[in-house]
Amino acid sequence: MSVLQDGIYHGPGRRPPGHLALVFLRADPEADAAAVDDALREVTTLLRGLADGVVPELPGHPVPSAGLEFLLGFGPKAFDIAGAKLPCPAALGPRLRFRSPRPTGGGPLLVGGGLSYAADVTRNDATEEFCLQLTADTQLAVSRAVVELWKLLRGARTGDSRTATLEIAGIHTGFQRDDRRSWIGFHDGVSNLESADRERVISIGAADAGPDPWTIGGTCLVFARLAVDLDQWHLLPRAQQELLVGRDKLTGAPLTGRDADGRPVPAAGCPVTGTTEVTQPGNEDFLEPGPTADPVLLTSHVRRSNLTGTADPDQSGSLRVFRQGYEFFEPVAAAPGFRAGLNFVGFQDSPERVLRILTQRGWLGGVNFGGQPGPDGPAGRLLTVRAAGTYLVPPVRDGAPYPGAEAFG
Amino acid sequence: MPFSAPGLADDLTPDLLDHWNKEIDRQFRRLEPELGSQYFTLEPDGPTVDRVAVTWFGNPAEPEFCFDAATACTLSDWGVRGRRALHNEYCEYAVISATDTEGRIRPKRVQVTTELPEYYLMLAEHAPARLREILTGTLGTEPRWQELYGPAVADPQLLAPTQRRVAFARHLTGHGQHTDLIDADVPAEPAGSLNAVNALFMAHPINGLDDLIYIVMFGAKPYARRNSAGGFEPAGRDQIFRQQPGLEALSCRHADPAAALAAADAAFHGRTVSFADPLGMYIQQFTSEVFLFEGGPVPDPWIRLGRGQQGLTQRLEFGPADDDPHFLDEITVVEGDAEEPLTGGYEVVRQVQVGPIVALGAPRPVPPRDFVVLADSPGPVRCRDARVCTDTVGPLKEAFEAEALRPAAPGSRPRGGR
Repeated sequence: MSVLQDGIYHGPGRRPPGHLALVFLRADPEADAAAVDDALREVTTLLRGLADGVVPELPGHPVPSAGLEFLLGFGPKAFDIAGAKLPCPAALGPRLRFRSPRPTGGGPLLVGGGLSYAADVTRNDATEEFCLQLTADTQLAVSRAVVELWKLLRGARTGDSRTATLEIAGIHTGFQRDDRRSWIGFHDGVSNLESADRERVISIGAADAGPDPWTIGGTCLVFARLAVDLDQWHLLPRAQQELLVGRDKLTGAPLTGRDADGRPVPAAGCPVTGTTEVTQPGNEDFLEPGPTADPVLLTSHVRRSNLTGTADPDQSGSLRVFRQGYEFFEPVAAAPGFRAGLNFVGFQDSPERVLRILTQRGWLGGVNFGGQPGPDGPAGRLLTVRAAGTYLVPPVRDGAPYPGAEAFG
Repeated sequence: MPFSAPGLADDLTPDLLDHWNKEIDRQFRRLEPELGSQYFTLEPDGPTVDRVAVTWFGNPAEPEFCFDAATACTLSDWGVRGRRALHNEYCEYAVISATDTEGRIRPKRVQVTTELPEYYLMLAEHAPARLREILTGTLGTEPRWQELYGPAVADPQLLAPTQRRVAFARHLTGHGQHTDLIDADVPAEPAGSLNAVNALFMAHPINGLDDLIYIVMFGAKPYARRNSAGGFEPAGRDQIFRQQPGLEALSCRHADPAAALAAADAAFHGRTVSFADPLGMYIQQFTSEVFLFEGGPVPDPWIRLGRGQQGLTQRLEFGPADDDPHFLDEITVVEGDAEEPLTGGYEVVRQVQVGPIVALGAPRPVPPRDFVVLADSPGPVRCRDARVCTDTVGPLKEAFEAEALRPAAPGSRPRGGR
């Protein structure tokens, strides 16, 4: 039996815990499959212990685990490790990977897409051999896991180069917002998949696995760290913001049209009496925007990112994904002294669903966020990419030391 | 309501327009006894309707879910054999080849069509001269009558209208499951080559007007299931397509679930569903940005949308014209981090979104007695188990592999040449 790893909160009523760290692990170019197998066993043993409150240097003195869960992903380069026993799965083929930033910084994330790397990004750390998604109820729990991981890897450094088989190459942290909004002030994650549909979208089935039956029961993680230009966003009047998003800013009600003055009109009756937000119980009929003929609304973000709202999510052509994003906020030296944005994390049976959403005309193809294609529109450069990658998340198998162990063990 | 010519592509006489509307009405009346619903009408109700595009991707879904994307590409690009077996998403294509300066036959451009065969049948029956005029505009040269009506027909005006319809069907459309044509011994596969070498209009039996009306009518009911609170919620794809044996296979394609579920969603909210004028299948979007030529965008003249006014086009020609020295395989398709030469049509129609435009009436409460409550599905439909995989796609794959293994006859041309 093979099942999805922990850390994918797709079941009914499950919401991702408050804190995230995505850790990207680089394999020593000299390391072979056996060494990587040993290292992954140690890493996953450590993390399982932490999930039980066990800190290696504090034997017999457990700490609160705060619901720590971890998920192990394999990037395309993992299968280039000498002695790897499995070829790179089709789900991580070149068609299903993001492009690299230019050596001088910037550059398109995808040809045909509207997202680009930030001008100061010259290296994408989300292309390393492995990624670990750490989630927990407290920042301490995920931070402790990162530090304990570092200690483990540091302790494994050997040889002249003093490098371990696996080294931390990048860390991106994030958190859930209790207001269910994003940094641009609007509700986010409202139009996600219904829980009943999620596993069919996420889980790699026999028909999806193609020549890689060992991936059945697993999933694919697509990550993109998207910084938002708040300075630009807050220059826009509220009505323009709403037309770009496709929702009322205060209530989250989907827009159904524009009035005679071209101002956005939210869905009548939303939110229902006794509520103030679309996210509150009773507003379920308003989570997804209904059909419209309004050409401006058709270009809004919520519609472009889900163009076939009535299609069956299971079908790859529906391009539905299960989003499990985490916001981020980090101090930086340059004005205004911080950077904020979204860690987009999507789970789906193939990265193709996300990559096509980002490139297809009518969807988000050529569009940075919403509105008309092109960089000169009001949201033309709202988002920039700090890092992005696609990872296979192998299934959990009974008796296996870690998910995907058949690739190295 | 009288529908205009598909795509508003042609100025038709009132008489021809009447024939077209009679054909639409005839198909509707034939389906009405089984599928009629107060939530489907041929008459959109007044000024409150929303014209909404229903879209899906144009590449054949079946070979991909039966096997994989690479197989789907190979088989779908297998000339007219691939087209007749697999191009059933209301989108067909042909690859035009030409000889380069070194004598090699290479793909020159891809023709994509969503035009309904019944429209051409109507013209062939009632207006041969107009038909030939339209096809001349598409082809750039005037076709001979024999290319349209078969080698025995030097002048279609000498035939009765019904004889013209049968002759044209036998030569260029096939019977398309129309009973009068089946009764007249018209084969499923047309004998003539004009619409095989070129993609003039669709000819796959499932890409017809009757099928389009069928699937939207089929979907336009407030299909529901009971939720845990005893209320109604929209039924899912698996429930809707498991109502009758044989429908299950349709649920795995791009077209049928997209069309039916869009109609069902509207009906669930009390909206009437109809086809917006003009009734037709349209190329809604083409993501040309993923194709590069010499590192930049493909030249605009290489992307030619036609057979319809803006937003209502039914034809796409993609690639250099005959008098251009370049070839299709000089275009690169860029997906993700991969860049490959473009050699066929499958990679083109993967970037094409097609579909009709429907007119939705205003939402209104659905009386509980109107809900069509469906039984829970015993589980998701397993597309890979569909009979089409064993009955159609599998044998086609075997035939392709057998041909690939067969030694080429001396002097034979590569596949797909003309």
